[in-house]
Amino acid sequence: MQTNKLYDERLELYKKTIKFENERPSTAYGGPATPAAHMGMTIKDYIFDTKRGFKAYIDYINLLNNEAPVDVINTPYAGLFHIPISMMWLSKVKAPGIELPDNSLWQVMEKEMMKVEDYDKILEQGWAEFQQEFLPKVLDMKDLQKFIEYQMAEGPEQAKAMIDNSYPLVNSMGFTPPFEALCGARSMTKFFMDCYKLLDKIKDVQDVMFPVQIEGALQAMKQSNAIGGWVGGWRGASGMVSPKIWDTLVWPYMKKAGDKLLENGFIPIFHLDQNWDRDIERFLEMPRQSCILNTDGMTDLKRARKLLGDHVAFMGDVPAPLLSNGTPETVSDYVKELLDSVGPKGMMITSGCDTPANAKFENVVAMYKTAVDYK
Amino acid sequence: MSIAEMLANLEDEAVMAEVKKQISDGVEPMKIFEACQEGMNIVGKKFQDGEYFVSDLMMSSAIFKDVSDVIKPLLGTEGEATIGKVVLGTVEGDIHDIGKDLVHAMLSAGNFEVIDVGIDAPVDSFVNALKENPDAKVLALSCLLTTCYDSLKATVEAVKEAGLTDVKIIIGGGPVDQSVVDFSGADTYGETAQDAVFIAKELM
Repeated sequence: MQTNKLYDERLELYKKTIKFENERPSTAYGGPATPAAHMGMTIKDYIFDTKRGFKAYIDYINLLNNEAPVDVINTPYAGLFHIPISMMWLSKVKAPGIELPDNSLWQVMEKEMMKVEDYDKILEQGWAEFQQEFLPKVLDMKDLQKFIEYQMAEGPEQAKAMIDNSYPLVNSMGFTPPFEALCGARSMTKFFMDCYKLLDKIKDVQDVMFPVQIEGALQAMKQSNAIGGWVGGWRGASGMVSPKIWDTLVWPYMKKAGDKLLENGFIPIFHLDQNWDRDIERFLEMPRQSCILNTDGMTDLKRARKLLGDHVAFMGDVPAPLLSNGTPETVSDYVKELLDSVGPKGMMITSGCDTPANAKFENVVAMYKTAVDYK
Repeated sequence: MSIAEMLANLEDEAVMAEVKKQISDGVEPMKIFEACQEGMNIVGKKFQDGEYFVSDLMMSSAIFKDVSDVIKPLLGTEGEATIGKVVLGTVEGDIHDIGKDLVHAMLSAGNFEVIDVGIDAPVDSFVNALKENPDAKVLALSCLLTTCYDSLKATVEAVKEAGLTDVKIIIGGGPVDQSVVDFSGADTYGETAQDAVFIAKELM
Protein backbone atom coordinates (compact mmCIF):
# COMPACT_ATOMS: atom_id res chain seq x y z
CA MET A 1 0.00 0.00 0.00
CA GLN A 2 1.26 3.48 -0.92
CA THR A 3 2.51 5.33 2.15
CA ASN A 4 3.44 9.01 2.56
CA LYS A 5 6.34 11.01 3.97
CA LEU A 6 4.89 11.64 7.41
CA TYR A 7 3.78 8.03 7.77
CA ASP A 8 7.27 6.84 6.84
CA GLU A 9 8.87 9.31 9.27
CA ARG A 10 6.62 8.13 12.06
CA LEU A 11 7.31 4.50 11.36
CA GLU A 12 11.00 5.33 11.33
CA LEU A 13 10.65 7.08 14.70
CA TYR A 14 8.90 3.99 16.07
CA LYS A 15 11.72 1.75 14.94
CA LYS A 16 14.33 4.19 16.22
CA THR A 17 12.61 4.26 19.60
CA ILE A 18 12.91 0.49 19.83
CA LYS A 19 16.63 0.90 19.06
CA PHE A 20 16.97 3.74 21.61
CA GLU A 21 17.95 6.12 18.80
CA ASN A 22 14.97 8.46 19.18
CA GLU A 23 15.65 12.14 19.89
CA ARG A 24 12.39 12.66 21.76
CA PRO A 25 9.94 10.26 23.41
CA SER A 26 7.48 9.01 20.84
CA THR A 27 3.74 8.75 21.41
CA ALA A 28 1.19 6.02 20.82
CA TYR A 29 -2.59 6.15 20.74
CA GLY A 30 -4.33 3.51 22.83
CA GLY A 31 -8.06 4.07 23.37
CA PRO A 32 -10.40 1.56 21.73
CA ALA A 33 -13.53 3.22 23.16
CA THR A 34 -12.34 6.73 23.99
CA PRO A 35 -13.46 8.48 20.79
CA ALA A 36 -17.16 7.59 21.23
CA ALA A 37 -18.10 10.06 23.97
CA HIS A 38 -16.01 12.91 22.62
CA MET A 39 -17.47 12.47 19.13
CA GLY A 40 -21.05 12.31 20.45
CA MET A 41 -21.73 8.62 19.86
CA THR A 42 -22.93 5.91 22.21
CA ILE A 43 -20.55 2.97 22.57
CA LYS A 44 -23.21 0.83 20.91
CA ASP A 45 -23.35 3.00 17.79
CA TYR A 46 -19.59 3.41 17.85
CA ILE A 47 -18.87 -0.31 17.60
CA PHE A 48 -21.87 -1.45 15.54
CA ASP A 49 -22.20 1.40 13.03
CA THR A 50 -18.72 0.65 11.83
CA LYS A 51 -18.40 3.23 9.07
CA ARG A 52 -19.46 6.08 11.35
CA GLY A 53 -17.54 4.58 14.22
CA PHE A 54 -14.31 4.35 12.28
CA LYS A 55 -14.73 7.91 11.05
CA ALA A 56 -15.22 9.08 14.65
CA TYR A 57 -12.09 7.15 15.64
CA ILE A 58 -9.91 8.74 12.97
CA ASP A 59 -11.44 12.19 13.53
CA TYR A 60 -10.78 11.91 17.28
CA ILE A 61 -7.15 10.94 16.75
CA ASN A 62 -6.79 13.81 14.29
CA LEU A 63 -8.16 16.19 16.92
CA LEU A 64 -5.54 14.95 19.35
CA ASN A 65 -2.88 15.12 16.68
CA ASN A 66 -3.77 18.77 16.01
CA GLU A 67 -2.67 19.48 19.60
CA ALA A 68 0.35 17.18 19.85
CA PRO A 69 1.71 14.50 17.54
CA VAL A 70 0.24 11.01 17.75
CA ASP A 71 3.11 9.02 16.27
CA VAL A 72 1.63 5.53 16.07
CA ILE A 73 -1.57 3.66 16.83
CA ASN A 74 -1.46 0.91 19.43
CA THR A 75 -5.16 -0.04 19.43
CA PRO A 76 -7.12 -0.45 16.22
CA TYR A 77 -10.68 0.79 15.79
CA ALA A 78 -13.06 -1.31 17.90
CA GLY A 79 -15.62 -2.28 15.24
CA LEU A 80 -17.77 -5.20 16.48
CA PHE A 81 -15.12 -5.50 19.16
CA HIS A 82 -17.05 -7.88 21.40
CA ILE A 83 -16.54 -10.62 18.80
CA PRO A 84 -12.72 -10.67 18.62
CA ILE A 85 -12.56 -10.18 22.40
CA SER A 86 -14.74 -13.24 22.81
CA MET A 87 -12.38 -15.21 20.56
CA MET A 88 -9.29 -13.97 22.38
CA TRP A 89 -10.65 -14.68 25.86
CA LEU A 90 -12.70 -17.74 24.91
CA SER A 91 -15.45 -16.20 27.00
CA LYS A 92 -18.86 -14.75 26.41
CA VAL A 93 -18.70 -10.99 26.07
CA LYS A 94 -21.67 -8.77 26.82
CA ALA A 95 -22.12 -5.99 24.29
CA PRO A 96 -23.69 -2.52 24.57
CA GLY A 97 -27.17 -2.36 23.09
CA ILE A 98 -27.56 -6.13 23.39
CA GLU A 99 -27.01 -7.35 26.95
CA LEU A 100 -25.82 -3.99 28.29
CA PRO A 101 -27.10 -0.39 28.11
CA ASP A 102 -26.21 1.49 24.91
CA ASN A 103 -23.44 3.48 26.49
CA SER A 104 -21.84 0.74 28.50
CA LEU A 105 -18.43 -0.67 27.69
CA TRP A 106 -18.34 -4.29 26.42
CA GLN A 107 -17.58 -6.62 29.33
CA VAL A 108 -16.24 -10.15 29.56
CA MET A 109 -18.48 -12.57 31.47
CA GLU A 110 -16.49 -14.58 33.99
CA LYS A 111 -18.00 -18.03 33.69
CA GLU A 112 -16.73 -21.59 33.49
CA MET A 113 -17.36 -22.40 29.82
CA MET A 114 -14.75 -25.13 29.51
CA LYS A 115 -14.93 -28.12 31.83
CA VAL A 116 -11.97 -29.75 33.50
CA GLU A 117 -12.49 -32.87 31.34
CA ASP A 118 -11.92 -30.74 28.28
CA TYR A 119 -8.16 -30.74 28.92
CA ASP A 120 -8.15 -34.40 27.91
CA LYS A 121 -10.31 -33.60 24.92
CA ILE A 122 -7.79 -31.03 23.70
CA LEU A 123 -4.97 -33.55 24.12
CA GLU A 124 -6.92 -36.15 22.16
CA GLN A 125 -8.48 -33.98 19.43
CA GLY A 126 -5.90 -31.25 19.00
CA TRP A 127 -6.56 -27.54 19.48
CA ALA A 128 -8.06 -26.68 16.09
CA GLU A 129 -10.78 -29.29 16.33
CA PHE A 130 -11.56 -28.53 19.97
CA GLN A 131 -11.74 -24.80 19.29
CA GLN A 132 -14.20 -25.33 16.48
CA GLU A 133 -16.41 -27.33 18.82
CA PHE A 134 -15.95 -24.88 21.70
CA LEU A 135 -16.44 -21.49 20.04
CA PRO A 136 -20.23 -21.77 19.60
CA LYS A 137 -20.49 -21.99 23.40
CA VAL A 138 -19.16 -18.46 23.78
CA LEU A 139 -20.04 -16.88 20.47
CA ASP A 140 -22.91 -16.89 18.00
CA MET A 141 -21.35 -18.24 14.81
CA LYS A 142 -23.51 -15.87 12.77
CA ASP A 143 -21.84 -12.99 14.60
CA LEU A 144 -18.44 -14.43 13.79
CA GLN A 145 -19.43 -14.62 10.13
CA LYS A 146 -20.59 -10.97 10.30
CA PHE A 147 -17.25 -9.99 11.79
CA ILE A 148 -15.32 -11.76 9.05
CA GLU A 149 -17.46 -10.09 6.38
CA TYR A 150 -16.99 -6.69 8.06
CA GLN A 151 -13.23 -7.19 8.20
CA MET A 152 -13.08 -8.19 4.55
CA ALA A 153 -15.27 -5.33 3.40
CA GLU A 154 -13.98 -2.51 5.59
CA GLY A 155 -10.55 -3.67 6.74
CA PRO A 156 -8.70 -2.57 3.59
CA GLU A 157 -10.47 0.85 3.58
CA GLN A 158 -9.56 1.33 7.23
CA ALA A 159 -5.94 0.34 6.60
CA LYS A 160 -5.79 2.85 3.74
CA ALA A 161 -7.34 5.61 5.87
CA MET A 162 -4.79 5.01 8.62
CA ILE A 163 -1.97 5.37 6.12
CA ASP A 164 -3.56 8.39 4.41
CA ASN A 165 -3.80 10.04 7.83
CA SER A 166 -0.15 9.10 8.47
CA TYR A 167 -0.71 6.80 11.43
CA PRO A 168 1.26 3.55 11.45
CA LEU A 169 -0.81 0.84 13.14
CA VAL A 170 1.82 -1.00 15.16
CA ASN A 171 -0.56 -3.55 16.67
CA SER A 172 -2.58 -5.32 14.02
CA MET A 173 -3.65 -8.20 16.19
CA GLY A 174 -3.44 -9.45 19.73
CA PHE A 175 -1.94 -12.88 20.28
CA THR A 176 -3.48 -14.51 23.34
CA PRO A 177 -1.02 -16.97 24.85
CA PRO A 178 -2.53 -20.35 25.77
CA PHE A 179 -2.48 -19.52 29.49
CA GLU A 180 -4.73 -16.51 28.97
CA ALA A 181 -7.06 -18.35 26.59
CA LEU A 182 -7.52 -21.27 28.99
CA CYS A 183 -7.97 -18.86 31.89
CA GLY A 184 -10.80 -17.15 30.02
CA ALA A 185 -12.44 -20.43 29.03
CA ARG A 186 -12.21 -22.07 32.45
CA SER A 187 -12.82 -18.81 34.43
CA MET A 188 -9.99 -17.41 36.50
CA THR A 189 -10.88 -19.02 39.81
CA LYS A 190 -11.23 -22.52 38.34
CA PHE A 191 -8.17 -22.16 36.15
CA PHE A 192 -5.91 -20.97 38.94
CA MET A 193 -6.99 -23.99 40.99
CA ASP A 194 -6.22 -26.22 37.99
CA CYS A 195 -2.75 -24.71 37.81
CA TYR A 196 -2.00 -26.05 41.30
CA LYS A 197 -3.57 -29.44 40.81
CA LEU A 198 -2.98 -30.20 37.12
CA LEU A 199 0.14 -28.23 36.26
CA ASP A 200 1.75 -30.91 34.07
CA LYS A 201 -1.44 -31.63 32.19
CA ILE A 202 -2.05 -27.95 31.48
CA LYS A 203 1.50 -27.65 30.20
CA ASP A 204 0.82 -30.55 27.82
CA VAL A 205 -2.41 -28.86 26.71
CA GLN A 206 -0.63 -25.55 26.11
CA ASP A 207 2.02 -27.38 24.06
CA VAL A 208 -0.77 -28.69 21.85
CA MET A 209 -2.43 -25.27 21.58
CA PHE A 210 0.55 -23.02 20.95
CA PRO A 211 1.66 -24.11 17.45
CA VAL A 212 -1.91 -23.85 16.13
CA GLN A 213 -2.51 -20.49 17.78
CA ILE A 214 0.72 -18.89 16.64
CA GLU A 215 0.39 -20.18 13.09
CA GLY A 216 -3.09 -18.62 12.86
CA ALA A 217 -1.82 -15.33 14.25
CA LEU A 218 1.14 -15.19 11.88
CA GLN A 219 -1.04 -15.93 8.87
CA ALA A 220 -3.43 -13.13 9.79
CA MET A 221 -0.53 -10.73 10.30
CA LYS A 222 1.04 -11.64 6.97
CA GLN A 223 -2.26 -11.11 5.16
CA SER A 224 -2.64 -7.63 6.65
CA ASN A 225 0.99 -6.57 6.06
CA ALA A 226 1.25 -5.93 9.78
CA ILE A 227 4.07 -4.03 11.45
CA GLY A 228 3.62 -5.96 14.66
CA GLY A 229 1.17 -7.19 17.23
CA TRP A 230 0.49 -7.71 20.90
CA VAL A 231 1.56 -10.65 22.93
CA GLY A 232 -0.92 -10.34 25.74
CA GLY A 233 -0.42 -10.93 29.42
CA TRP A 234 -2.98 -9.99 32.02
CA ARG A 235 -3.93 -12.84 34.31
CA GLY A 236 -0.52 -14.35 33.84
CA ALA A 237 1.12 -11.27 35.35
CA SER A 238 3.81 -11.81 37.97
CA GLY A 239 1.57 -10.20 40.57
CA MET A 240 -1.17 -12.68 39.78
CA VAL A 241 0.47 -16.10 39.77
CA SER A 242 3.09 -17.97 41.76
CA PRO A 243 6.61 -18.24 40.30
CA LYS A 244 6.15 -21.94 39.52
CA ILE A 245 3.01 -21.29 37.47
CA TRP A 246 4.63 -18.31 35.75
CA ASP A 247 7.81 -20.18 34.89
CA THR A 248 5.96 -23.22 33.60
CA LEU A 249 2.81 -21.90 31.96
CA VAL A 250 3.22 -18.20 31.25
CA TRP A 251 6.69 -17.05 30.27
CA PRO A 252 7.82 -19.89 27.99
CA TYR A 253 4.83 -19.29 25.72
CA MET A 254 5.05 -15.51 25.79
CA LYS A 255 8.71 -15.70 24.88
CA LYS A 256 8.10 -18.24 22.13
CA ALA A 257 5.34 -16.03 20.73
CA GLY A 258 7.66 -13.01 20.77
CA ASP A 259 10.41 -15.00 19.07
CA LYS A 260 8.03 -16.28 16.39
CA LEU A 261 6.81 -12.76 15.61
CA LEU A 262 10.40 -11.59 15.28
CA GLU A 263 11.38 -14.53 13.06
CA ASN A 264 8.58 -13.49 10.73
CA GLY A 265 9.54 -9.83 10.67
CA PHE A 266 6.91 -8.51 13.08
CA ILE A 267 7.62 -6.34 16.13
CA PRO A 268 6.19 -7.83 19.34
CA ILE A 269 4.53 -5.52 21.82
CA PHE A 270 4.27 -7.33 25.13
CA HIS A 271 1.00 -5.92 26.45
CA LEU A 272 1.50 -6.31 30.19
CA ASP A 273 -1.44 -5.54 32.43
CA GLN A 274 -1.02 -5.68 36.21
CA ASN A 275 2.34 -5.98 37.96
CA TRP A 276 5.34 -7.66 36.29
CA ASP A 277 8.04 -6.47 38.71
CA ARG A 278 9.03 -9.90 40.01
CA ASP A 279 9.96 -11.25 36.60
CA ILE A 280 10.77 -8.15 34.61
CA GLU A 281 14.42 -9.19 34.15
CA ARG A 282 13.30 -12.19 32.12
CA PHE A 283 12.71 -9.85 29.19
CA LEU A 284 16.51 -9.75 28.90
CA GLU A 285 16.00 -13.15 27.27
CA MET A 286 14.45 -11.45 24.23
CA PRO A 287 16.87 -10.26 21.55
CA ARG A 288 18.28 -6.82 22.40
CA GLN A 289 16.26 -3.81 21.19
CA SER A 290 13.75 -5.95 19.32
CA CYS A 291 10.48 -5.50 21.18
CA ILE A 292 8.39 -3.31 23.47
CA LEU A 293 6.97 -3.65 26.96
CA ASN A 294 3.56 -1.99 27.09
CA THR A 295 2.72 -1.63 30.79
CA ASP A 296 -0.25 -0.15 32.61
CA GLY A 297 1.18 1.82 35.53
CA MET A 298 1.35 -1.10 37.96
CA THR A 299 4.81 -2.26 36.88
CA ASP A 300 7.61 -0.09 38.24
CA LEU A 301 9.20 1.26 35.06
CA LYS A 302 11.92 3.12 36.93
CA ARG A 303 13.11 -0.16 38.45
CA ALA A 304 12.56 -1.94 35.13
CA ARG A 305 14.80 0.56 33.34
CA LYS A 306 17.54 0.03 35.91
CA LEU A 307 17.34 -3.74 35.45
CA LEU A 308 16.83 -3.83 31.71
CA GLY A 309 18.94 -0.83 30.67
CA ASP A 310 18.60 -0.17 26.95
CA HIS A 311 17.67 -3.76 26.17
CA VAL A 312 13.90 -3.23 25.77
CA ALA A 313 11.81 -0.18 24.87
CA PHE A 314 8.83 0.80 27.01
CA MET A 315 5.37 1.95 26.03
CA GLY A 316 3.19 3.33 28.79
CA ASP A 317 2.02 3.95 31.34
CA VAL A 318 -0.23 6.86 32.36
CA PRO A 319 -2.81 5.27 34.69
CA ALA A 320 -6.46 5.19 33.67
CA PRO A 321 -7.78 7.00 36.80
CA LEU A 322 -5.48 9.91 36.06
CA LEU A 323 -6.81 10.27 32.51
CA SER A 324 -10.42 10.05 33.74
CA ASN A 325 -10.25 11.90 37.03
CA GLY A 326 -7.09 13.98 36.82
CA THR A 327 -6.37 17.37 35.32
CA PRO A 328 -3.96 18.33 32.51
CA GLU A 329 -1.53 19.42 35.24
CA THR A 330 -1.59 16.12 37.14
CA VAL A 331 -1.27 14.16 33.90
CA SER A 332 1.61 16.35 32.78
CA ASP A 333 3.35 15.94 36.15
CA TYR A 334 3.04 12.17 35.86
CA VAL A 335 4.57 12.14 32.36
CA LYS A 336 7.42 14.41 33.47
CA GLU A 337 8.20 12.17 36.42
CA LEU A 338 8.07 9.10 34.20
CA LEU A 339 10.45 10.65 31.68
CA ASP A 340 12.77 11.77 34.47
CA SER A 341 12.81 8.17 35.71
CA VAL A 342 13.26 6.26 32.48
CA GLY A 343 14.62 8.84 30.04
CA PRO A 344 13.34 9.76 26.61
CA LYS A 345 15.27 7.10 24.68
CA GLY A 346 13.39 3.88 24.12
CA MET A 347 10.23 5.43 25.56
CA MET A 348 6.79 5.75 24.01
CA ILE A 349 4.24 7.66 26.00
CA THR A 350 0.71 6.33 26.06
CA SER A 351 -1.98 5.36 28.54
CA GLY A 352 -1.61 2.39 30.85
CA CYS A 353 -3.50 -0.45 29.14
CA ASP A 354 -6.36 1.23 27.26
CA THR A 355 -7.11 4.93 27.46
CA PRO A 356 -10.40 4.79 29.35
CA ALA A 357 -13.70 5.46 27.61
CA ASN A 358 -14.28 8.47 29.86
CA ALA A 359 -10.79 9.96 29.59
CA LYS A 360 -10.96 13.75 29.41
CA PHE A 361 -9.80 15.02 26.03
CA GLU A 362 -7.63 17.70 27.62
CA ASN A 363 -5.90 15.07 29.76
CA VAL A 364 -5.05 12.92 26.76
CA VAL A 365 -3.72 16.01 24.98
CA ALA A 366 -1.64 16.89 28.06
CA MET A 367 -0.15 13.38 28.01
CA TYR A 368 1.07 13.73 24.41
CA LYS A 369 2.01 17.37 24.68
CA THR A 370 4.20 16.78 27.71
CA ALA A 371 5.82 13.79 26.00
CA VAL A 372 7.04 15.89 23.10
CA ASP A 373 7.65 19.23 24.85
CA TYR A 374 9.32 18.17 28.09
CA LYS A 375 13.08 18.63 28.05
CA MET B 1 3.10 -30.38 60.36
CA SER B 2 0.17 -28.46 61.85
CA ILE B 3 -3.07 -27.70 60.02
CA ALA B 4 -2.08 -24.03 59.94
CA GLU B 5 1.25 -24.85 58.28
CA MET B 6 -0.36 -27.21 55.78
CA LEU B 7 -2.90 -24.57 54.82
CA ALA B 8 -0.19 -21.93 54.60
CA ASN B 9 1.72 -24.27 52.26
CA LEU B 10 -1.46 -24.70 50.18
CA GLU B 11 -1.48 -28.48 50.68
CA ASP B 12 -5.18 -28.90 50.02
CA GLU B 13 -5.49 -32.68 50.31
CA ALA B 14 -3.30 -32.87 53.40
CA VAL B 15 -5.31 -30.11 55.12
CA MET B 16 -8.60 -31.86 54.46
CA ALA B 17 -7.27 -35.24 55.58
CA GLU B 18 -5.90 -33.77 58.80
CA VAL B 19 -9.10 -31.85 59.51
CA LYS B 20 -11.16 -35.02 59.10
CA LYS B 21 -8.72 -37.00 61.21
CA GLN B 22 -8.82 -34.47 64.04
CA ILE B 23 -12.63 -34.38 63.94
CA SER B 24 -12.78 -38.15 64.23
CA ASP B 25 -10.16 -38.03 66.98
CA GLY B 26 -12.53 -35.78 68.92
CA VAL B 27 -10.55 -32.55 68.72
CA GLU B 28 -12.78 -29.57 69.49
CA PRO B 29 -14.10 -28.25 66.13
CA MET B 30 -13.49 -24.64 67.17
CA LYS B 31 -9.81 -25.41 67.73
CA ILE B 32 -9.56 -26.95 64.26
CA PHE B 33 -11.31 -23.94 62.76
CA GLU B 34 -8.99 -21.54 64.56
CA ALA B 35 -6.00 -23.49 63.22
CA CYS B 36 -7.37 -22.99 59.70
CA GLN B 37 -7.79 -19.27 60.35
CA GLU B 38 -4.23 -19.14 61.61
CA GLY B 39 -3.15 -20.75 58.33
CA MET B 40 -5.02 -18.04 56.43
CA ASN B 41 -3.30 -15.38 58.50
CA ILE B 42 0.07 -16.84 57.48
CA VAL B 43 -1.05 -16.78 53.84
CA GLY B 44 -2.06 -13.13 54.25
CA LYS B 45 1.32 -12.30 55.76
CA LYS B 46 3.14 -14.09 52.93
CA PHE B 47 1.06 -12.14 50.41
CA GLN B 48 1.91 -8.88 52.13
CA ASP B 49 5.59 -9.79 52.12
CA GLY B 50 5.53 -10.48 48.39
CA GLU B 51 6.13 -14.19 48.89
CA TYR B 52 2.63 -15.16 47.76
CA PHE B 53 0.58 -13.89 44.82
CA VAL B 54 -3.09 -13.63 43.84
CA SER B 55 -3.26 -17.27 42.71
CA ASP B 56 -1.98 -18.32 46.14
CA LEU B 57 -4.69 -16.26 47.82
CA MET B 58 -7.29 -17.91 45.62
CA MET B 59 -5.95 -21.39 46.32
CA SER B 60 -5.87 -20.77 50.07
CA SER B 61 -9.40 -19.35 49.98
CA ALA B 62 -10.65 -22.45 48.17
CA ILE B 63 -8.99 -24.74 50.72
CA PHE B 64 -10.41 -22.65 53.57
CA LYS B 65 -13.89 -22.77 52.09
CA ASP B 66 -13.75 -26.55 51.65
CA VAL B 67 -12.62 -27.17 55.23
CA SER B 68 -15.08 -24.57 56.58
CA ASP B 69 -17.90 -26.47 54.89
CA VAL B 70 -16.84 -29.52 56.89
CA ILE B 71 -16.19 -27.80 60.23
CA LYS B 72 -18.83 -25.08 60.45
CA PRO B 73 -21.84 -27.38 60.84
CA LEU B 74 -20.08 -28.80 63.90
CA LEU B 75 -19.53 -25.44 65.55
CA GLY B 76 -23.09 -24.73 66.66
CA THR B 77 -23.78 -21.26 68.04
CA GLU B 78 -20.08 -20.82 68.79
CA GLY B 79 -19.47 -20.74 65.04
CA GLU B 80 -21.82 -17.85 64.55
CA ALA B 81 -19.56 -15.39 66.37
CA THR B 82 -17.75 -13.15 63.90
CA ILE B 83 -15.64 -10.01 64.09
CA GLY B 84 -18.34 -8.09 62.30
CA LYS B 85 -20.48 -7.77 59.23
CA VAL B 86 -19.52 -6.31 55.84
CA VAL B 87 -21.86 -5.54 52.95
CA LEU B 88 -20.06 -6.15 49.65
CA GLY B 89 -20.83 -5.82 45.95
CA THR B 90 -19.73 -4.65 42.51
CA VAL B 91 -21.37 -1.36 41.59
CA GLU B 92 -24.06 -0.84 38.98
CA GLY B 93 -22.89 -1.10 35.38
CA ASP B 94 -19.97 -3.38 36.20
CA ILE B 95 -20.29 -7.16 35.94
CA HIS B 96 -16.80 -8.08 37.19
CA ASP B 97 -16.88 -10.53 40.04
CA ILE B 98 -13.38 -11.95 40.57
CA GLY B 99 -12.06 -9.15 42.76
CA LYS B 100 -15.29 -9.02 44.72
CA ASP B 101 -15.32 -12.78 45.21
CA LEU B 102 -11.73 -12.78 46.37
CA VAL B 103 -12.47 -10.02 48.88
CA HIS B 104 -15.49 -12.05 50.01
CA ALA B 105 -13.30 -15.13 50.52
CA MET B 106 -10.59 -13.24 52.39
CA LEU B 107 -13.10 -11.45 54.64
CA SER B 108 -14.80 -14.77 55.43
CA ALA B 109 -11.45 -16.33 56.23
CA GLY B 110 -10.78 -13.31 58.45
CA ASN B 111 -13.96 -14.22 60.35
CA PHE B 112 -16.21 -11.51 58.97
CA GLU B 113 -19.77 -12.20 57.97
CA VAL B 114 -20.22 -10.99 54.41
CA ILE B 115 -23.51 -9.88 52.90
CA ASP B 116 -22.79 -10.10 49.17
CA VAL B 117 -25.24 -8.19 46.98
CA GLY B 118 -23.58 -9.41 43.78
CA ILE B 119 -22.40 -7.69 40.61
CA ASP B 120 -23.96 -4.84 38.63
CA ALA B 121 -25.71 -4.03 41.89
CA PRO B 122 -28.13 -1.09 41.89
CA VAL B 123 -27.63 1.61 44.51
CA ASP B 124 -30.76 0.48 46.36
CA SER B 125 -29.45 -3.04 46.85
CA PHE B 126 -26.55 -1.68 48.91
CA VAL B 127 -28.77 0.67 50.91
CA ASN B 128 -31.35 -2.05 51.55
CA ALA B 129 -28.69 -4.56 52.62
CA LEU B 130 -27.29 -2.03 55.07
CA LYS B 131 -30.76 -1.26 56.44
CA GLU B 132 -31.54 -4.96 56.82
CA ASN B 133 -28.22 -5.46 58.60
CA PRO B 134 -27.90 -2.48 60.93
CA ASP B 135 -24.92 -4.16 62.60
CA ALA B 136 -22.93 -3.98 59.33
CA LYS B 137 -20.35 -1.30 59.93
CA VAL B 138 -18.47 -1.55 56.64
CA LEU B 139 -19.57 -1.30 53.03
CA ALA B 140 -17.08 -2.60 50.45
CA LEU B 141 -17.60 -1.53 46.84
CA SER B 142 -15.81 -3.10 43.89
CA CYS B 143 -15.33 -1.27 40.58
CA LEU B 144 -13.20 -2.34 37.63
CA LEU B 145 -14.34 0.20 35.06
CA THR B 146 -13.48 3.89 35.04
CA THR B 147 -16.89 4.42 33.45
CA CYS B 148 -18.48 3.21 36.69
CA TYR B 149 -16.92 5.87 38.93
CA ASP B 150 -20.28 7.63 38.78
CA SER B 151 -21.97 4.50 40.14
CA LEU B 152 -19.48 4.44 43.00
CA LYS B 153 -20.23 8.05 43.78
CA ALA B 154 -23.99 7.53 43.51
CA THR B 155 -23.81 4.57 45.88
CA VAL B 156 -21.77 6.48 48.44
CA GLU B 157 -24.18 9.43 48.24
CA ALA B 158 -27.24 7.19 48.58
CA VAL B 159 -25.82 5.53 51.69
CA LYS B 160 -25.19 8.94 53.25
CA GLU B 161 -28.59 10.26 52.19
CA ALA B 162 -30.21 7.22 53.80
CA GLY B 163 -28.74 8.42 57.08
CA LEU B 164 -26.30 5.49 57.31
CA THR B 165 -23.52 7.80 58.34
CA ASP B 166 -21.90 5.33 60.74
CA VAL B 167 -21.09 2.98 57.89
CA LYS B 168 -17.51 3.20 56.66
CA ILE B 169 -17.08 2.74 52.92
CA ILE B 170 -14.07 0.98 51.34
CA ILE B 171 -13.63 0.88 47.58
CA GLY B 172 -11.37 -1.33 45.49
CA GLY B 173 -10.66 -2.62 42.00
CA GLY B 174 -8.10 -2.14 39.23
CA PRO B 175 -8.64 1.56 38.42
CA VAL B 176 -9.31 2.67 41.99
CA ASP B 177 -6.91 4.95 43.82
CA GLN B 178 -6.99 7.95 46.16
CA SER B 179 -8.34 10.18 43.36
CA VAL B 180 -11.38 7.91 43.12
CA VAL B 181 -11.83 8.05 46.91
CA ASP B 182 -11.82 11.85 46.62
CA PHE B 183 -14.24 11.76 43.69
CA SER B 184 -16.69 9.28 45.19
CA GLY B 185 -16.66 10.44 48.80
CA ALA B 186 -15.76 6.95 50.07
CA ASP B 187 -13.64 6.66 53.21
CA THR B 188 -10.67 4.77 51.85
CA TYR B 189 -9.52 2.23 49.27
CA GLY B 190 -7.66 -1.07 49.26
CA GLU B 191 -5.18 -2.17 46.64
CA THR B 192 -5.56 -5.89 47.30
CA ALA B 193 -8.10 -8.33 48.69
CA GLN B 194 -5.86 -8.70 51.72
CA ASP B 195 -6.00 -4.93 52.29
CA ALA B 196 -9.77 -5.23 52.57
CA VAL B 197 -9.37 -7.48 55.61
CA PHE B 198 -6.90 -5.17 57.35
CA ILE B 199 -8.97 -2.09 56.61
CA ALA B 200 -12.22 -3.72 57.69
CA LYS B 201 -10.61 -4.74 60.98
CA GLU B 202 -9.41 -1.20 61.55
CA LEU B 203 -12.81 0.24 60.75
CA MET B 204 -14.73 -2.12 63.05
